[in-house]
Amino acid sequence: MFKQLDPILHSQLRLAVMSLLIGVKEAEFIFIKESTNSTAGNLSVQIQKLKDVGYIDVNKKFKDNYPLTTCKITKKGIDAFELYVKNLQEYLNVK
Amino acid sequence: MEKELTPQESLQLIEGMIQKTKATYHDKGISALLWGTVVTIASLVTYARIQYDFKLGFDIWLVVLFAIIPQIIISIQEKRKIKIRKHDDEAIDAVWIVYAITIFGLVAYQNIVPAATSSLLKADGWQMMKHYLDASKPDEIITPFAPSFSSIFILIYAFPTFITGLVKKFKPMIIGGIISYAAFIVSLYTETKYDMLLCALAAICNWLIPGFILRRRYLKKLAC
Repeated sequence: MFKQLDPILHSQLRLAVMSLLIGVKEAEFIFIKESTNSTAGNLSVQIQKLKDVGYIDVNKKFKDNYPLTTCKITKKGIDAFELYVKNLQEYLNVK
Repeated sequence: MEKELTPQESLQLIEGMIQKTKATYHDKGISALLWGTVVTIASLVTYARIQYDFKLGFDIWLVVLFAIIPQIIISIQEKRKIKIRKHDDEAIDAVWIVYAITIFGLVAYQNIVPAATSSLLKADGWQMMKHYLDASKPDEIITPFAPSFSSIFILIYAFPTFITGLVKKFKPMIIGGIISYAAFIVSLYTETKYDMLLCALAAICNWLIPGFILRRRYLKKLAC
């Protein structure tokens, strides 16, 4: 029986964001936007969803008088990502 | 409407994103070029000064001290441009900070200890003299010194480069570090004049060559 894939992660943009954040300590919003080729509006919505479930921390501050948003994956996010990849591998292996 | 992913697409996406963070390299090689240049020049000028017995009128190593100013500007500018922090960045920063502190400590040691030792000896009622065994010259008062001190500098030049090379798996820095360690061993047996040549060799291998490689990589990436 296949374990259901986490619906929060099983979405193109949210999975892209999590895949970026898993490899770094923290990343600026602009870097995530450029790397995922997404629009600022859509990315903000998806980041908020990831934040709401506790998968990422979002820190807003000012740098040189400009607003700066940085994102960082949480322990809960790492666990969810690892479980998602494990389930994905199980699914692909059985198939 | 969000696109529904197949498991294969999910794995490809994860792999692609991880590769993007791996490919992000912010070091433009300017710091390495700066330090490679100033230390090489200072070492070679010192060698020439001793070899050809001329006076400059100022301490050439001040150039190294003044290079801190552009380094601070470069560091601030690069920090502004950094959009991600990787897990190993803090470790590498720590190594370079410790290195800078150690170098300052050594410079202070080199400048303070001989004079301080002289004062202590004088307070104790004696001083160091140079006595020629064949009596060809009269005795001279000498200031206590740390023999082969440049060797310690060569040793310290190697450590951040070697660590960075190992952590980043960057072969030119690993090779640079190994050459510096070899130069250090050789310098233990050579006089200060030749230590300066070894010092220049260490600076070239530690910073200048890796700096050129980093710079070329960065410019190539810009052109893409």
